[in-house]
Amino acid sequence: MLTRHPALLVVAGWTLFNGLLFALLAGYGEGAVAMWLWAGSLALLAGATAAVLWSVRRGPEQHRRYRLVTGGAAAVLPAAAGAGLLGLATVYGWWMAALAVPVLALAALLALAGT
Amino acid sequence: MHRRSVFDQVFAVETAIALAVFVIVLGLLVFAVVRRRARAGLFVSRRREWKPVELCYAGALAAVAAGLVIYTALANREQGRENDRPVDLRVEVSAFQWCWEFAHPDPAGGPEDEPVTARATCRGDDLPTLVVPTGRNIRLELDSRDVIHSFWVPELRYKLDAFPGHRNEFTVRFDREGRWIGHCAEFCGHRHHTMDFWVRAVSPEEYDAWLLDAQTGQDIPAETA
Amino acid sequence: MTLTAPGRDRDRGRAPGGRPPSRYPSGRRLLLSTDHKRIGLLVLGTSLALLFLLGVLALLMRAQLARPESGFLDSAVYNQFFTIHGSGMIYLVMTPFAIGLGVYLVPLQVGAPNIALPRTTLLGYWLYATGAVIMLAGFATPHGAHAAGWFSYPPLADGRYSPGPGSDMWVAGVFLSTAGVILMGWAVLWTALRKRAEGMTMLRMPLFSWSMVATCLMVIGAFPALLAALVLLGIGRADPSVFDSNLWIIGYQHLFWFYGHPVVYVMFFPYLAAVGEVLATFARRPFFGFRLTVLSLLVFAGLSMSVWGHHMFTTGQATNDYYSLTSIALLVPAGIEYFAMLGTILGGALVFRPPMLFALAFIPQFLIGGLTGIMVGTPVIDYQAHDSYFVVAHLHYVLFAGSAFGLFAAFYFWFPKVTGAMLDDRLSHVHFWLLVAGTNLTFLPMFFLGLQGMSRRIVSYAEFDGFGTLNLLASIGAGLLAVAMLVFVYNVWTSLRWPRPAGDDPWQGQTLEWATSSPPPRLNYTPEHPLPPITSYAPLYDLRRTEDGRAH
Repeated sequence: MLTRHPALLVVAGWTLFNGLLFALLAGYGEGAVAMWLWAGSLALLAGATAAVLWSVRRGPEQHRRYRLVTGGAAAVLPAAAGAGLLGLATVYGWWMAALAVPVLALAALLALAGT
Repeated sequence: MHRRSVFDQVFAVETAIALAVFVIVLGLLVFAVVRRRARAGLFVSRRREWKPVELCYAGALAAVAAGLVIYTALANREQGRENDRPVDLRVEVSAFQWCWEFAHPDPAGGPEDEPVTARATCRGDDLPTLVVPTGRNIRLELDSRDVIHSFWVPELRYKLDAFPGHRNEFTVRFDREGRWIGHCAEFCGHRHHTMDFWVRAVSPEEYDAWLLDAQTGQDIPAETA
Repeated sequence: MTLTAPGRDRDRGRAPGGRPPSRYPSGRRLLLSTDHKRIGLLVLGTSLALLFLLGVLALLMRAQLARPESGFLDSAVYNQFFTIHGSGMIYLVMTPFAIGLGVYLVPLQVGAPNIALPRTTLLGYWLYATGAVIMLAGFATPHGAHAAGWFSYPPLADGRYSPGPGSDMWVAGVFLSTAGVILMGWAVLWTALRKRAEGMTMLRMPLFSWSMVATCLMVIGAFPALLAALVLLGIGRADPSVFDSNLWIIGYQHLFWFYGHPVVYVMFFPYLAAVGEVLATFARRPFFGFRLTVLSLLVFAGLSMSVWGHHMFTTGQATNDYYSLTSIALLVPAGIEYFAMLGTILGGALVFRPPMLFALAFIPQFLIGGLTGIMVGTPVIDYQAHDSYFVVAHLHYVLFAGSAFGLFAAFYFWFPKVTGAMLDDRLSHVHFWLLVAGTNLTFLPMFFLGLQGMSRRIVSYAEFDGFGTLNLLASIGAGLLAVAMLVFVYNVWTSLRWPRPAGDDPWQGQTLEWATSSPPPRLNYTPEHPLPPITSYAPLYDLRRTEDGRAH
């Protein structure tokens, strides 16, 4: 599996290398916060590896034909604006989150309409 | 001072290695720029790899890295040995926004005895002085009353952070008398840049006299720059 | 390669083969485009503009530090400046520009018509831009912008010691822009892993695209830790009692530096690889030691995830031996990459066009930063150098004398491809030499200042400290840097205003992007500009050799 899919080898291998360094740190007795933190990172990398694994099973790595995405980009601006408003809500209070809700709803609508 | 001498040696070794590497790389670069300029008749390599040379080189790098790791770990251990020495006296170093206090608890005294404390305002020339005897193992106990600060005496070649809610300690011995500046080395706000102090190493007799004076109520004279 | 593009294509009806450089897409098309090239330009343009803005902050700081006890800037303002200068350069300039290079170049280099996940990429840009605006808007608040340093340690950065909305906006801004960068990084990674054209095996991917793989793996693995650190900080700003416990004070540092070290390699690898591409192109031969370099990039990236504690040596609460071991180990992959770069030029025939100048200067300049990095990776040395100007010098050597020179090598190299216009050679040379002089004059004295005992992050220093002369030299150097950058801006402006056509391949490039038009058409490779056969990591070089039948 790994030799047939070099992309998977790279991501899985890199995750394993991280795991090795993590295990070495455990041997040095670093504190809990650091260990949990790196474990969390390993979980994310494992997720990325799983995503690549799922993808290599579904299709080739090299393409002669591509399916292209068009449309649906209109949702991006309100999505970013809504995220910005949520960010500002942490600064100026939760009434800003109320502003964010309709903006994000608009983004969701546009995203659905575009697909 | 022990920490300083370890630093000086390690720094000299690493600087020498760094300079050697830099000179070699720069030399090769200059050679390339001068002698490999594109011109008619110049043979251009098409080689994409040269496995045996590359692997030998990687091996050499790994050996250098291993050597450096071992050397620096040993130096670190050597520098830390000072912390294992039996403690002759303790000083409590309190860092706060934006100055320092140095409290010299009397080991013979009881819990109600006020330790001799050096204080100042850290405004203008009014800096607090940490007075210590030469030839004694002094345990400095670092604490903060608010944010993270750092106790740095460049002459010692050493610094250690002062945390609120966590005590950091180290042992130091001064071999000679003198007076040296110290700085706060962790950004701590508005007047971080003024949070300096003096360290003054005096003979043990002078230190005992100073301590006695302070305990009997004489003011600790302010140090000027 | 065949393409199916169901649904609406906004650009249908435009002539294939790209457009002349003087006509730019109008507002909505540029801001909402799913074309990776336009998104890439948004990222690159925004981060370059911010480079100048944040550079001005540095100039003002250098003006303040030129003389002892100067009153040019007061402490409150100065502290905001160094915080936003550092934060901006790292979160908003060097990192996004590196990812932006990937957004623009990776699809072209792997032969794809677009990036994977284009809408996600576009969202990533807008989150980054929104975050940038919010962070910088802190200057407009009554308390001013955040002033606790780019790493923003609590308790100093919590609600008790850094009150004010400016600091909250810093937290929100950094969170949003980092989230955006993570999204873009994932899209670039997915493109390189899953969207390569037929014939492009992993080992035929060019050096730059491989560097983006290593870079984006670090983005995925390490950048979320910053999000966690910011959440912790945000909670602590709302409820400072969180930081009454030392667990979370030191915990924040772990969370932060777990991100804070890999980010500096994210700000290094793409520029290093750009230098590699330039060296090979202008040495007229394929990059030497390609496969071992690819392996060392991946190992370097992996190791970089384990060294973060070297920023915490002086806390007394980290396992220093481990971090010192892994930090020193970094010299192995770094040395391999240097061997490859030197091997490339020593066997080549060198042509000294502007991109090559910057690439060649990168080699010794980054080396100074790297060697001093090994030094501060040694605890014994770091106990003295940490939080002094030695570190300031080290970081500016790697990030400016190194990565920024790589940035300019990349800029000069790919500008003709992106815009279809050539930059002026003479102005480029003036920029280069002024930048070399300014960079070294500014940052070299700082090593000595640090060793003499000058702390970092201080608004002023005393007369009797004796730091005046070296600081004055550094400030003069900064002035030279500013002049250099003005020359650069003038060069770019005049080259775009009165363009000289570049053609498809002005440099005799080796990788796929040079086979298509300048700028490339919407879908990168078309019947007019088809994909050449992909035979190695330098396909155009191979093609030229088979066409020539002899060495060119």
